[in-house]
Amino acid sequence: MLKFIAKRLANYVVMLFVAVSFTYFMASAFMHPRSVYESRTPRPPQDSIERTLDLANLNDRTPVLERYWNWLTAIVTRWDWGKSPTLESVNSAIAPRVLASTELVTLSTVLSIVLGVALGIYTAQRQYKWQDRMFMVTGTLFMVIPSAVLALLIVLMAIAVNDTVGFRMFYVTGLSSYTGDDIGLRLLDFLQHIILPTISLTLLGMVGYHLTQRTYLLDELHADYVRTARMKGLTRRQAVRRHALRASLIPTGVNVAFSIASVFTGAVITESIFAINGLGRYFITAINQSDINASVAIAAFGGVCTLTGALLADIFSAWLDPRIKMS
Amino acid sequence: MSEASVSANASAPKAAPESKEGKKEVKHLSYGALIARRFFRQPSAVVGVVLLAILVLFALFGSSIAQWGYDEPDFLSLSGAPSSSHWLGTDPGGSDLYALVVHGLGKSLLIGVITSVATMAIAAIYGTAIAFFGGWVERIGMWILDCLLVVPSFLLIAMLVRAANATAGWIWLVIGLTAFGWVGYARIIRTMTLSLRERDYVKAAHFMGVGSFKIILRHLVPNLASLIIINTVLGVVGAVNSETALSFLGVGIKPPDTSLGSILQTGQSTIQTAPWILLAPSVVLILLCFSMQLIGDGLRDALDPNSAAGGKVGA
Amino acid sequence: MFRKTKKNASPLADILKAGNGEVTRDEILQYELLEGNGPKGAPKGDPIMQVRDLHVSFATEAGVCRAVRGVNFDLWRGRTLGIVGESGSGKSVTALSLIGLLDDNAKVTGSIKMNGVELVGKTDEEMSVIRGEHIAMVFQDPLSALTPMFTIGDQIAEGLITHHPDMSKQAVHDRCIELLDLVGIPQPEERLNSFPHQFSGGMRQRVMIAIAIANNPDVIIADEPTTALDVTIQAQILDVLAKAQKETGAAVVLITHDLGVVAGAADDILVMYAGRPVERASIDDIFAKPSMPYTMGLLGAVPKPHVAASQRLVPIQGNPPSLVDIPAGCPFSPRCPLATPECSQAEPNLEVVDATNGHLASCRRLNEIVSKNMKYTDVFPVPEMLPAKWAEVPRDQRPVTLEVEHLVKTFPLTGGGMFRRTIGRVSAVDDVTFKIRQGETLALVGESGSGKSTTLMEIMNLMKPEDGRIVVLGHDLATLKGRGDRKALRKDLQIIFQDPMSSLDPRMTVYDVLAEPLKVHKWDKEKINHRIGELMELVGLNPDYVDRFPTQFSGGQRQRISIARALATDPKVLLLDEPIASLDVSIQAGVINLLEDLQAKLKISYLFVAHDLAVIRQISDRVAVMYLGQVVELGETEDVFTHPRHPYTQALLSAIPVPDPVVERTRSRIILKGDLPSPAEHHPGCRFASRCPVKLTLSPAQQQMCDGQRPTLRGDDQNQSEFACHFPLAVTAESAF
Repeated sequence: MLKFIAKRLANYVVMLFVAVSFTYFMASAFMHPRSVYESRTPRPPQDSIERTLDLANLNDRTPVLERYWNWLTAIVTRWDWGKSPTLESVNSAIAPRVLASTELVTLSTVLSIVLGVALGIYTAQRQYKWQDRMFMVTGTLFMVIPSAVLALLIVLMAIAVNDTVGFRMFYVTGLSSYTGDDIGLRLLDFLQHIILPTISLTLLGMVGYHLTQRTYLLDELHADYVRTARMKGLTRRQAVRRHALRASLIPTGVNVAFSIASVFTGAVITESIFAINGLGRYFITAINQSDINASVAIAAFGGVCTLTGALLADIFSAWLDPRIKMS
Repeated sequence: MSEASVSANASAPKAAPESKEGKKEVKHLSYGALIARRFFRQPSAVVGVVLLAILVLFALFGSSIAQWGYDEPDFLSLSGAPSSSHWLGTDPGGSDLYALVVHGLGKSLLIGVITSVATMAIAAIYGTAIAFFGGWVERIGMWILDCLLVVPSFLLIAMLVRAANATAGWIWLVIGLTAFGWVGYARIIRTMTLSLRERDYVKAAHFMGVGSFKIILRHLVPNLASLIIINTVLGVVGAVNSETALSFLGVGIKPPDTSLGSILQTGQSTIQTAPWILLAPSVVLILLCFSMQLIGDGLRDALDPNSAAGGKVGA
Repeated sequence: MFRKTKKNASPLADILKAGNGEVTRDEILQYELLEGNGPKGAPKGDPIMQVRDLHVSFATEAGVCRAVRGVNFDLWRGRTLGIVGESGSGKSVTALSLIGLLDDNAKVTGSIKMNGVELVGKTDEEMSVIRGEHIAMVFQDPLSALTPMFTIGDQIAEGLITHHPDMSKQAVHDRCIELLDLVGIPQPEERLNSFPHQFSGGMRQRVMIAIAIANNPDVIIADEPTTALDVTIQAQILDVLAKAQKETGAAVVLITHDLGVVAGAADDILVMYAGRPVERASIDDIFAKPSMPYTMGLLGAVPKPHVAASQRLVPIQGNPPSLVDIPAGCPFSPRCPLATPECSQAEPNLEVVDATNGHLASCRRLNEIVSKNMKYTDVFPVPEMLPAKWAEVPRDQRPVTLEVEHLVKTFPLTGGGMFRRTIGRVSAVDDVTFKIRQGETLALVGESGSGKSTTLMEIMNLMKPEDGRIVVLGHDLATLKGRGDRKALRKDLQIIFQDPMSSLDPRMTVYDVLAEPLKVHKWDKEKINHRIGELMELVGLNPDYVDRFPTQFSGGQRQRISIARALATDPKVLLLDEPIASLDVSIQAGVINLLEDLQAKLKISYLFVAHDLAVIRQISDRVAVMYLGQVVELGETEDVFTHPRHPYTQALLSAIPVPDPVVERTRSRIILKGDLPSPAEHHPGCRFASRCPVKLTLSPAQQQMCDGQRPTLRGDDQNQSEFACHFPLAVTAESAF
């Protein structure tokens, strides 16, 4: 078991290294931090530009391999992910954003898994009945609707509700605005902020779980072993619950593990619309400011999340499904 | 005399009597006609086709009935509500929304279709190639695929497109979306090729002495084709979605060019004062993606020989 | 119900008595006659289950599928009812309706009474109390019937706990071990914690039986319990099933298409066709005096493993009707040689053939059949043997067309991890030797995993073998140079696969399928067109059908298309990989006859791979028996079948169920212990040593020889056969059957 994990881990570390290095070279090729300074008015003196770029290890007059080497050694020896063109540390900028993202996505992720899987189970047992067809159509709609469109429509509706009730029931920007000490009011304030982005993310997220869980359960529902279980004296519901459901949850579990990565990168639009200072918004800022180091750091973080998800998925399926041997 | 003489064969009880009377036209139902029949039998697929046709016509000819060009701002009407001169209103810069939506829809469709076709072409070549060569080529090929999946492709595309200038922006967007969008499909096609390679009829053709290239062309491609066609159609939805997201975030299509995503971006800032700016592109986007999805699902059912949804045609 | 309790009263007397009462004649015929002429005599006491006028239909897209249309029977404790029929006859649906496991869209009418309690109309919850406790079932495919995520201990215990929640943990554990022991699973204590994937198919079927008998049910339904298994494993499972019946005293319903299986295991028989019982009798009567033409045809169509092939098989023409669209009148009439125009007017009921023994059959011309004592040869004309013009040349003077010597093929065994290293080799084929002459059929027999198919693939690949020699029509494959040589040779060497569905590209019309091999050899269009017409007629298909797709044909017709394609280039050698294994019995006979005719006409050599020994005795001139990659016996078919020299051959032959209840009852069976060992295991001695019954009788020194020295193929002066055994069986005056 440990050997299996260690082997996978080693493979993933190599992959991560290759992928992040690739991202670094790509970012260096396509982003031009020099232009940030050169386009400023008044234009700073040339010496100052060169010095700042050198300090940030972003000067395109230094060979890219040398910059790469400096960048890499700084990470390996000091865990220093570099500086932005404005000489802010990436390390200190990224931490609070991860926190904000986590606050934003945790609730919606849990909700979309629970609701999506439940809906999948519900509709699978009513295949081709009107409930199934209705949820299929709505599911398809939410699957294809661009997330920006959905979030904006929700904002429009929330504003309409606010106007109707006459006070600010929903906040459409940020994660908090209350500054007092009352813990109850603070929680209420948080909820007023979080509810709209959560609805938006949940609607988008649960479709996937709904449709896949439905397919997985349908595959298992007609399996011979469910019939065997019923033959033993279980009712259909018991047989489905104890046997088919369990088998169908294995691939869903794998999907959940994989979704960890998209949790952080999939909320870019939502963060942008609801003005939440999370990782996604940070990334857009970084791109717009030609911040190579920050972009690569975010990519690396996304990569770590993906691979953690993959590893969790491996372990999870091996743990639940005895057919997969861990060797 | 044999089984054949009793033409009431179990699987074709209805087709048999016709052929007995020698109605030759029954036999010459081509494969394409068969698929078309199965496809158009599904109401949802027909709805999808009609919707898409309307949207395409709108994108192609909508501008000819417009009173304004998308790049001719009317400075007398900034963020104007829908009116007789601006059917859908204007944006904060005074551009006519109707003209913007027509142009944006065209651009989004163009990007979506080109990206999806290019993505699938790369995925098909890569996927079949690694499945065919097998061995080391396959293992290394798979490792590269896994590697490309590590970093979220969205980030890489954004980097690439951001660097491009405004007029060529949409081409870079296509390049970016294609360069990092094919990875998942390549894996699917590889798996499919692997299983097709083991079919008895492929083996039989090989043992008859049919060349490998001909086997690919005559047996594998037609059987993979349905998968590729379906994925291409559904891929348009994905590409349109990505385009919208990137343009909305300001790293995709940039002014003066316009797409549905960039109209949304403009509308976001005036959501309280001029909500109509959001509505038109939203509705068009939803219709576009929904129609494509319906067509894709319809094709899937029509091409799948085991699907019950396609009805019982000839079998 | 008018059943009177009767102890030893003769059924005939009963009828007469009942006939005077208010019971109608139909009811007497259908319910009151007891099958009496079987090995156990007439049943005594009250039946445990009574099925009356059972109808089951499904709503499908194509229309209402009437799967079961009026089935009546009784089940008695300790007796086995065999339900026989081909696919689509409604036998499995009947079984599932007894236990209430039909799909939701099934509509069941009629009556199923168990101990007087009506089961039809019970809800799923109500049925669940009865299922597993009073009725249990064993399914066809043991590989998918067990939940992969649970240990087998948990799965057996589940059935116990569901019905007896008060059982203590220890009691459940003990009962599980007892059950595993009963069904013959070694080390039951340890195996309780194993998962299904760690068991072979045969072992899983044993577990299935253990689950079924856990609560000592009154009725056990076995739906094709051995169809998915090899013949030696089939013998084991039938043995376990008999033991389980003895242990529980349950009534068994055995559903099968294999007449050999029922001959040995059943007491009473119900033959079904198109959802209706067409004949009902005791096991002896059905085989001795089949009275419905379909039953006769079925029996005539089955090759007999225990007698030499003296005449051709009798195929039943046509295909069973679609259950959605059952024609008016007798559903068998379109295929029946006795059919008259009246037969298609109304469907006949079951009528009495022999009242004393409860023999019923449904046929409009039953009186005629019974009074004239018609046999199946009278009903179905035996097709003429097509004399081969070239047969005058003795076989050993004809040229050798295919020769294989000491063929070896191994596959690498790879470890896990990213870069799979080879950690060992599995020998799939290890020392295969045989030769085939012109116009001769050699059968390659063996259980799954014995390397038959790998051998075929090695020949078809036309590459230099790993070790050994393959010579096709005088060309040693090692000396072939380049593609041109191989392509030229492929014209003369063709193959037919087992599954006619997957061997024809679903996207090509029959015309394109048949044209493909001809295009390879650059035939021109007109010649191809002409040839295709010729081929269609050769395999007995209407040439007008060439523009259809393979899915529009039935299984047997598709296999004929496969044969036509293989024959297109007029090959000299044809390899057949289980060509009839996926076809129904009545269709099989037609394909076998076609293959025989084609050989007589075209002088082709066949290499016929099969696991069905009865078919092999019918069709082949010579036999090569394979065990774990090695040919262990090679000889004339009759020699091998009557006087096997290798102990494995003997065990294999004794495991075949014979479609003759009298023979079945008197036969003694050698039941091999355990499963086929993994081919990855290497040991220097005889590969069969671990399961060999003869080895156990040898002296220690001799046993050492078995374990230490690999025997190779050799012959002696007792008969013509060659065998790979240090201590072969002697040729005796008695036949093996």
